[in-house]
Amino acid sequence: MTANFLIGLREGLEATLVVVLLMAYLVKTGRRSLLPRLWAGVGIAVAVSIAFGALLTFGPQGLTFAAQEAIGGGLSIVAVALVTWMVFWMARTARSLGGELKSQVDKLADGAAWGLVVVAALAVGREGLETALFLWAAAQAAGESSQPLLGALLGLAVAAGLGYLLHRGVLKVNLSRFFTWTGVGLIVIAGGVLAYGIHDLQEAGILPGLHNLAFDVSAAIPPSSWYGTLLKGTLNLSPATTWLEAGAWLLYVIPVLYFYIRANRSAPAKSSGNAVAGNAATSKAA
Amino acid sequence: MPGTPLPKMTLPKMTSRRRKSLALVAAAAAVPLVLTGCTDNTKTPGSSASAGPIQVTSNKTECKVSIGSVPSGNLSFAVKNEGTEITEFYLLAEDGLRIVGEVENIGPGLTRNLVVTAPAGKYTTACKPGMQGDGIRAALEVTDSGNKTGVDADFQKLVDTGVQQYTAYVRDQTEQLVTGTKAFADAYAAGDATKARELYAATRMHWERIEPVAESFGDLDPKLDAREADLEPGQEWTGWHRAEKDLFPPAGYTALTATERAKIATQLVSDTEELGKRTRTVVLPADKLGNGAKELLDEVARGKVTGEEEIWSHTDLWDFQANVDGARIAFENLKPALAQKDPALATSLDEKFAALQAELKKYAKGDGFAYYNELGPAEVQQLAALVDALGEPLSKLTSAVVL
Repeated sequence: MTANFLIGLREGLEATLVVVLLMAYLVKTGRRSLLPRLWAGVGIAVAVSIAFGALLTFGPQGLTFAAQEAIGGGLSIVAVALVTWMVFWMARTARSLGGELKSQVDKLADGAAWGLVVVAALAVGREGLETALFLWAAAQAAGESSQPLLGALLGLAVAAGLGYLLHRGVLKVNLSRFFTWTGVGLIVIAGGVLAYGIHDLQEAGILPGLHNLAFDVSAAIPPSSWYGTLLKGTLNLSPATTWLEAGAWLLYVIPVLYFYIRANRSAPAKSSGNAVAGNAATSKAA
Repeated sequence: MPGTPLPKMTLPKMTSRRRKSLALVAAAAAVPLVLTGCTDNTKTPGSSASAGPIQVTSNKTECKVSIGSVPSGNLSFAVKNEGTEITEFYLLAEDGLRIVGEVENIGPGLTRNLVVTAPAGKYTTACKPGMQGDGIRAALEVTDSGNKTGVDADFQKLVDTGVQQYTAYVRDQTEQLVTGTKAFADAYAAGDATKARELYAATRMHWERIEPVAESFGDLDPKLDAREADLEPGQEWTGWHRAEKDLFPPAGYTALTATERAKIATQLVSDTEELGKRTRTVVLPADKLGNGAKELLDEVARGKVTGEEEIWSHTDLWDFQANVDGARIAFENLKPALAQKDPALATSLDEKFAALQAELKKYAKGDGFAYYNELGPAEVQQLAALVDALGEPLSKLTSAVVL
């Protein structure tokens, strides 16, 4: 029961965090009207995952292991690209909030807001298929015992609850801090997703180096413990990390954080006139 | 900024045309991805000897696999977790490293299925209760069902899969070679001749298994594998055989100084690392596999049968075995495709590989082999005859698969 609960919690957190931060952002910038789009993305991902999971479990055909990993890994890496772009988009719009550039921002925002659907779908979908396969297996066992399914669903519910609390919490944070911290949070999470995606591709044999470990702390942080689960669910930390994963994480997080903080730091000091120039520069950089 | 009222922004609605094209793009990207990755959930007809999935039960201390040997084709595992921790199940290749298939997140009380297409060969199964460590391992033998895996499968797909598997094999061997070479070079540079001698032949096997790929980098091969007898005038002698002569010195040989040894060792490691770097991006079309297999066998006929390759260490049989391994893996990766085009050739190659391997096995000693200078002329002749017998059908492999 506990173990199944932890699986649900972990997979749930992995899917929830990005969505929650994007949600909080939309609310903070007064774009509540865009929330349905976010939910649409989440809904699509959930529906597609469940349908595919059912098809692959009960249908005549299953997915090869390599394809499963390639899909998961590939989606993760695409998700990272989109989240990164969202973060910089958020930094940019945050800057022009006080300015008089609404029409320009609106124009940008329309494209980006549709990006929201895709980001939300990817954030949920990349773990969705694996979770759906697990849930169907749990549902199949329901004849013998409903405990696994109950545990997993409870885990998902707790993840959603934690997401809700986080959402309430970040709404209380003051605005400029909020933008910095959601951005940093998203970048660190995205770094974890990237590393995890790389690991998937290593397992599928598409990338090398699966057995070259940078560190292995699984004795100190057992992956089946509750804290191992939380670390994996929130930061995607894998206790046994390969060099390629660690390298990808560092190569992503350090430069992106640097550019992000630089872009943010210059923001409040600038007048609206400067913001136009800054805006143009950032859009090129992004 | 705190307290600033936020301006409300309204966004223009997206046109339905754009919405449609977005959906189309997404669908177009998803469909081929899903289709190419599909495999039959049902077992291939004909391999019904072991009807139903292979039952695996995992708990904290055990990983019970219901059967030790299965016919090749689509293997279906039903993995039941009877423990209290989350478990994982892996089907690994014989080396215990390459993942053939896995299923993660098997919660307590759950049964999850894994379907993999597996050609005949030796495999390792592993359960990982608690998701850490190497897992509880056991051997699984997949026998040849005579059933061509997916008879109706697209021929090109079979070739592509074979090429992919071989590329992964080359990468894996290179990685092991780099690791092994470092250990060897450390021991050698430190003057630990006993340990270096011990590591010498076994480490070189990784090199010998992928020799045709390694040799395709014309600048690295002579630096790593040149023999003294083959040196061009003025060429600096580095690499494995330089160390070999120093470790297995002939009479009247002056040993290298510690500085010279360190230099050879450093060069050996850096050249091998360079090889590893280049191998990572190497593209191997199907003809390279077929021709590579033949080249490996030619290597055997040219250097190993004659005992020239390891003239000081006499560990030619290690190289011999590794060359045969490399050729056999290339052949086996192409076998599903070959079986469609020319089943008779596939059978003949299977038999000849088996005959040569059986003969080689006679000389196995512990983890290694007998020294080559311990073999009598009749024994060498017998090995040579089997190499020739294999070389003849093997030379037809490339054209059978590629043309």
